[in-house]
Amino acid sequence: MTSANGNASNGSYEQDGVDIGGARSADLSLPGALDGLRVLEICDEKGQFCGKLMADNGADLIKIEPPGGEACRSFGPFLDDSPHRERSLSFWHYNTSKRGITLNLETPQGQDVFKRLAATADIVLESRKPGYLESLGLGYETLSADNPGLIMCSLTPYGQTGPWRDYVSSDITQLAGGGQMASSGYDEIDVPNPPPIAPGGGNSWHIGAHYAYIGIMAALYYRFLSGEGQYIDASIHEACALTTEGAIAIYLSTGEVVQRHTGRHAAPDMSPAIQFPTGDGGWLNTTRSGTNLTPARLKLLAEWFNQSGMADDLGDERYQDPTVIAEENDHIVQVMKNFFMNSTLEDAFHGGQQRDFPWGAIRSMDEIVGDAHLTDREFFKEVEHPELGRTFTYPGPAALFNGSPWRISRRAPLIGEHNAEILQGELGLTNSQLLLYAEGGVI
Amino acid sequence: MPLPTPLQGIRVVDFTWVRAGPWAARWLGTLGAEVVKVEWPLNLDTLRQNRFTVPPGVEPGPNSTGQFADTNANKRGISVNTRTEEGLELVKRLISVSDVVIENFSSRIMQRWGLGYEQLKKIRPDIIYVSMAGFGHTGRHHWYGTMGPAAQALSGLTHLSGLPGAPPAGWGWSYLDDTGGMYGAISALTALRHRSATGKGQHVDLSQMITGITLTGPAFLDKTVNGRQARREGFPPGNRTVWPGAEVVNNYRGPIAAPHNAYRTAPEGYNDWAVIACLSDDEWQKLVELMGSPDWADSRFDTVDGRLEHQEEMDGHIGKWTRTMGKYELTTQCQAAGIRAMAVQSSQDRVDNDPQLRHRDMYVPMAHPMLGPWKFQNAPFKLSKSPARIANPPPMIGQHNREVLEDLLGVTHDELLNGYENGVFWPTTMDRYPYIEEALR
Repeated sequence: MTSANGNASNGSYEQDGVDIGGARSADLSLPGALDGLRVLEICDEKGQFCGKLMADNGADLIKIEPPGGEACRSFGPFLDDSPHRERSLSFWHYNTSKRGITLNLETPQGQDVFKRLAATADIVLESRKPGYLESLGLGYETLSADNPGLIMCSLTPYGQTGPWRDYVSSDITQLAGGGQMASSGYDEIDVPNPPPIAPGGGNSWHIGAHYAYIGIMAALYYRFLSGEGQYIDASIHEACALTTEGAIAIYLSTGEVVQRHTGRHAAPDMSPAIQFPTGDGGWLNTTRSGTNLTPARLKLLAEWFNQSGMADDLGDERYQDPTVIAEENDHIVQVMKNFFMNSTLEDAFHGGQQRDFPWGAIRSMDEIVGDAHLTDREFFKEVEHPELGRTFTYPGPAALFNGSPWRISRRAPLIGEHNAEILQGELGLTNSQLLLYAEGGVI
Repeated sequence: MPLPTPLQGIRVVDFTWVRAGPWAARWLGTLGAEVVKVEWPLNLDTLRQNRFTVPPGVEPGPNSTGQFADTNANKRGISVNTRTEEGLELVKRLISVSDVVIENFSSRIMQRWGLGYEQLKKIRPDIIYVSMAGFGHTGRHHWYGTMGPAAQALSGLTHLSGLPGAPPAGWGWSYLDDTGGMYGAISALTALRHRSATGKGQHVDLSQMITGITLTGPAFLDKTVNGRQARREGFPPGNRTVWPGAEVVNNYRGPIAAPHNAYRTAPEGYNDWAVIACLSDDEWQKLVELMGSPDWADSRFDTVDGRLEHQEEMDGHIGKWTRTMGKYELTTQCQAAGIRAMAVQSSQDRVDNDPQLRHRDMYVPMAHPMLGPWKFQNAPFKLSKSPARIANPPPMIGQHNREVLEDLLGVTHDELLNGYENGVFWPTTMDRYPYIEEALR
């Protein structure tokens, strides 16, 4: 038995897990899918994830931070709970595989260095206020004048045009405007007068970054065909507004506005609950269609529940009739609830899956870290932090690419870590220039 | 002359169904790829049966749901029975002239059809194959099934959303169908760049569930680096960054801040809420000023630790103020003062009341053969030279059989007619729709 509060060691659930020859990651000696592309990133929390997606796929990504580093280096949690701009776990996660330099873009020297770097770049990704880079003489027209293949993507809260373009935002305001909150929350029975809930984890930035990445990849293919670069104006607000599944389609179709329900789809109607507590303090999500019971499926459940004497009367022949199942739904759900309360979360989850019920355990990091299936997919990536003499486990990729490996090639850059390597080594600045730039607040 | 599309010349064989897979192919189509959706009427895409999105007055049927329409715009569609030898052979012929194969079946189906990656590669050596199974094709639980909510639960995303002491609120829709879909498109496009550079295709084995885990990075590292207990008192803190009385630990959304909450607005209808987030003391002072510097907003609230300590009291006062105006008025006032605020927008708000989305052409009008004048969701990015476009309504089932099978795959008209008689292109047990009869003439 495993516990919802302990590490899931689901080694006993390996039945039928035969290898079907799914993809294995390509050998790490091979180049990644974006190998050979140089990306310049001028991003805070709004765009850094898009940069990570490119960098982990092999792009040569140079992160350009203001002297002293991006403000989002001060987002916790911190290594050993000791706050420091080099110890932000949030920054660490979102900036893997990147090199980093510091550059004050508001100085003529900084602008000059940036232009020289941009001349070597395939992609510029930026999330500064609309018009900011242009006001410094660093807009797309300028940067692409001598580099017509340059792709530049501005990923901003509301885009470059429109009445809200200068609105200030944060993750929760984006989730409010985008519609995530209007769809997420509780039934009255679970929380009286429930507020709309902004789902956690900083997902407005993820949603924006995913779409920006799609736009950039599309522009890359167009460049492959035509040789031409272009400018991309990506809006986090629009990306979020697109990401509420059926809510918009329901409104356009019937004029109905969805209502929030605990742990399940917001809908125009009151749907049955699908989350059930387990005996070890966990919650099981049975999904809306997962509770649609046919006689055959009910029989499977009854046999399973019966192993622990919890089937009640579900094994009775009279349930082999869809009408009876419909009529007795409340009773059946009660038997299921009783069973779950006598089970652990992991046992209920695996037991259901093995009987073809697409249920999900509501897992936390306590259970996810170390999971056997994830281990099989080599999801847990060890990343060295040489300056600390320590190695930490990072999350791996969503997908295995069998022709071009995804990899974390290095931990997030320290502040200005690659100033000398890039500014001297690649752009040819002299040692004394670097010194003067450092003292003059240029880098 | 319309601008060119970025993925011109790319052909995608789309075996996907329900939401995540079709959403992936939808974006490839919106970017200009020719997407051919392969269906069979006896095994209907669930979204073709979505009862919530048949407009009043429209006859229900597989071509009449708004949810299918938006999720499958910019595609063509064929109906082919892949369980027949002839049907399977035609599908292989289609693959041989295509660039991408994408599917979101459970892990064994394609191999059962003889269309696993090794076989696909024989048909088309540089094929890009994107599989989108819940757990992926590799790993001991590859055969487990997931729908969006279960995938979200397993990924840790659900756990991050809700109020402390209450059940998980989770996400009020299949976020991992949306995001899993975007990742399907991301996977195909990433592999396409690799093919452009090397001439080689590959198999991208995407897991919908793991897509969610990659969105929990700071929480993940807090576990692996700091050993933080994920299940803990006061977590998750709802819309706040720290729950009153709980240990001050970052909740993985951004900086720790207060105020940071949803507040009631007039006239207190179901979606009359707005959020305000002050991420610095300076932003707080702007809010105090905007509220008219009320007596209660004294020096106890000057610093973030003070505001966290007196969070309930502060939120109570702010809520009284926000109730005096509508959510858009509040948004306008706050934004004019440089305060991060936004109305909680329903679907109706976004379509009808959001001036920004209107300005940016988020909902593109286009006629649909069954639904009439309709609106389709636009891309959230504007490419200056080769923009995405809303070009076609979704296919009615089997709508493009003739042009795809005859014009592209070289099936003769007699063979086509014959395939309708013997159950390869349409079930013999099912009436044909008028548009199919029309196309066969």
